[in-house]
Amino acid sequence: MSVCPPYAPFFGFGGVASAMIFSTVGAAYGTSKSGIGIAGLGTFKPELIMKSLIPVVMSGIIAVYGLVVSVLIAGGLRPLDYSLYAGFIHLGAGLACGFTGLAAGYAIGYVGDSCVRAYVFESKVFVTMVLILIFGEVLGLYGLIVALIMNSRASEAARCP
Amino acid sequence: MSEQAAVGKLVAAQADQSGGVLFKLVITALALGIVPLSSYYLSRDYLWNGNTIYAAFTAVFSANVVLVLYILEAAREESRLRASEKQQQPENKKDR
Repeated sequence: MSVCPPYAPFFGFGGVASAMIFSTVGAAYGTSKSGIGIAGLGTFKPELIMKSLIPVVMSGIIAVYGLVVSVLIAGGLRPLDYSLYAGFIHLGAGLACGFTGLAAGYAIGYVGDSCVRAYVFESKVFVTMVLILIFGEVLGLYGLIVALIMNSRASEAARCP
Repeated sequence: MSEQAAVGKLVAAQADQSGGVLFKLVITALALGIVPLSSYYLSRDYLWNGNTIYAAFTAVFSANVVLVLYILEAAREESRLRASEKQQQPENKKDR
């Protein structure tokens, strides 16, 4: 068993890909689900559309979290002198950010859809909606923080013989 | 005749408003793509001396700043719309 096998970058690139892929799936789900509610709101009160687009913007931020983690991990990949330890760390970081982004996007989608439909009838729902959406987005932020912490440990990997 | 003019004005105002909404949304989408990445690279090279964690936090912070600016703009537009509606209502009562 060698410390730096040639298949180690597979896991590193898997981390980069999974961070982007899963957070984008979450963001797409959030955008589309809340977009259904916004389309419903738009037929009754078109002047409220800009305020009701906030779930869509927040879903975009979830995708930005995945993008930042992907860029961060990809900056630490190397063709040679790359240990399996670093590969697993990068994979774990990418998966942490990706799946929490998926969860956050899911939450933003459901909350955005329901609250935007309720906003047609009651305007005080707006502040509630923003608060719940912030709590949902913070889930993705936690995944990003854990990914950052994990990625910082990859630089202490041993040099390859 | 005055009713038709009022409806025409309303439709034109809504068209102006929807064009404004689209423009703001495009600006926000571009900002959400450009601002975090550029702040990550610029802050990593010029602010934090290569420390990638601080650079990533800067990128996250700048993305949330874009979000807060969008929310403030949406709230400001609604208050502006309410003010213009209040101005239009006395005119309608005069037409009657």
